[in-house]
Amino acid sequence: MNLFTQSIYSGLTSGAVYALLAMGLVIAFRTTRVVNLAHGESYAVAGLVIAMLDRAGLPLALALGSGVLIAMAYLWAMDRVLLRPRSSWPVASLILITLGMAFLTRGVLLVVAGVDPLSFPRLVAGPPLRWAGGILPRQALLLIVTSIVAAVAVAVFLGRTRFGRQLRATAEHPDAAQLMGVNVAATRAAAFLLAGGLGGLAAALLVPLVPVDFQTGLGMTLRGFIAAALAGMVPGAAVLCGFILGLFEAFVTSYGGALASDPVVFVVLIVAALWRSRSIRFEGRARA
Amino acid sequence: MKTRKRLGALLAQTAWVVAIGSGVPAAWAADPINIGMIAPTTGVMATVGQRQLATAQWWEGEVNGKGGIKGRPVRLIHCNDEANPEKAVSCVRDLLARGSVLLINSSVTGPIRATMPLIRNGPVMVTPSPNVMPEPSSYVFQTSPSDMDLTRALVEYLHRSKVDSIGVIAATDASGELGVNTVKTLLPASSIKFHLARIDLRATDASIQLAQVAKSDVRLIYSTYSGGGAATVVKSFNNLGLEQPLVVSYANLSDQFIALIRNDMPRRLLGLGLKGVVPELLADPAERERVAYFARAWQQAKGDSIDQLNLNALTLVDTIEAILRNGPDTADAAAVKAWLEKTPVRSFQTLRFSPQSHIGMNESHAAILEYKGGRWVPAPPVQ
Repeated sequence: MNLFTQSIYSGLTSGAVYALLAMGLVIAFRTTRVVNLAHGESYAVAGLVIAMLDRAGLPLALALGSGVLIAMAYLWAMDRVLLRPRSSWPVASLILITLGMAFLTRGVLLVVAGVDPLSFPRLVAGPPLRWAGGILPRQALLLIVTSIVAAVAVAVFLGRTRFGRQLRATAEHPDAAQLMGVNVAATRAAAFLLAGGLGGLAAALLVPLVPVDFQTGLGMTLRGFIAAALAGMVPGAAVLCGFILGLFEAFVTSYGGALASDPVVFVVLIVAALWRSRSIRFEGRARA
Repeated sequence: MKTRKRLGALLAQTAWVVAIGSGVPAAWAADPINIGMIAPTTGVMATVGQRQLATAQWWEGEVNGKGGIKGRPVRLIHCNDEANPEKAVSCVRDLLARGSVLLINSSVTGPIRATMPLIRNGPVMVTPSPNVMPEPSSYVFQTSPSDMDLTRALVEYLHRSKVDSIGVIAATDASGELGVNTVKTLLPASSIKFHLARIDLRATDASIQLAQVAKSDVRLIYSTYSGGGAATVVKSFNNLGLEQPLVVSYANLSDQFIALIRNDMPRRLLGLGLKGVVPELLADPAERERVAYFARAWQQAKGDSIDQLNLNALTLVDTIEAILRNGPDTADAAAVKAWLEKTPVRSFQTLRFSPQSHIGMNESHAAILEYKGGRWVPAPPVQ
């Protein structure tokens, strides 16, 4: 097996998930200015629900649809019940609320789904594909392609549709947007539904390859957030950064070892954050 | 007057709740013997902790159902350390404060090691982790073969199979570190080449690590990784369609682990196990009967079959029971330690500690097993 090629395949697979999660995080952030630390829970909720329904004997297609819908409902309900009524609170308090929600969800998932990692059958069967000395499961290829298609679809949706413009207007100035006739509440709801759908989609595609358990959510939020932060909370760039992060992690693990993976990734995050803050401080211009 | 009556009623209710909640029947006149047990029942090692706790609870019920020990009921007090060293230390403090006279530690290497300084002066603590090699001067007794002994059993199997190159996957935690040291010591000395890759305990994909070790000359891959997270290695192994036999670690010969990987079963799944898992490998008829009795009782109580984790826990509770029935007063920890060092403990395999070694089993107790047809059997050589 060729390690270089395998690193690319593994990096693209995890990058596809980070991209989907980062996109969801960015969409919710751009309507509320709140980094939703419970975003990865939509992944865990969908993955565990699909696995449990599959175990209960429900047809896989039905289980997948139900899991994604529940993930959408989960984030929508969080916004409706916890965030929207407190939209006048400081952003830091709202972020803490989302963190609390993440831990609450983790506890509920522990009680409902148990401690064991769960999984469900792949959507595409067959032997893995062997290209250039690397091995790529067909399910992983589906995940990568779907993630790219979803990214393009969301970018078009946000850039070329009325909803996209409303979303941007809501993000810039909710009160002004409301005066201009934008239904801010409905826009927020749609943004959280879309974010939940992307989290659910990531679970539907990845969990057949990598089991999910009640603790998975926060790790997913973290990786999605790193990609989103590197992208400056811009949806299209978040997808690109998701893939770059996945590839970077894979190459660090391959050539630096698993022990180096976390420190290197977080050093990069710190450097990127400092670089971005410099850009913000000097209003995007080079320092004189 | 009214206040006194209320207070009396409250005290009576509290006593009732305490009696019911403790798991010890209220009818016992004598004080219970408190046994503290640390077991990770949530987190990545839950597959290990839950099974061992259930076995210890079964033993508690069995002993108390037969009249207790020396007329006193046994009370098992559990603390969930989540395989976290800080929590394990708090657990030991709490269990000692609650009057535990002996301790069972079913956690993993890091947390077990973290608790050892707390019992420098006793009480005796028993643990099944092969990665813990207690100093003979300590009050810690380990009831499994050591990691070195288990790896010797693997080396013997590799020689029998004429395999001279393997891949090794080890976690980045303390257990993995010890596993790495063991293979680095033992394999080159046995003329076996190995390719090593490490994996983070929270990793969700092991395909890169497998790509690093599955070289063309590698005829077998050994994952030293324990607990439910090891399912990641098996899943990635299947994702990559690898053909070599995969050997899983000692702590993963459990029904719970098999359930986790049932959709991703490798072509040949092997495991480093105890001979007791396959009773026909036991030479002593009394040992075979002990396993058979335990298997029947467990089936009756829980409705499923026993696995290696049950047997690991059985060695722990058998050691505790031997001390309580035949050993000196547990208040004298030094006497208990000396007694264990000279008295063999009958379990499904006999444990022999000594003043030179606090490890109860050795290489002769271990075997390479294969999961076939829904059960573990002795593994035929690699083709």
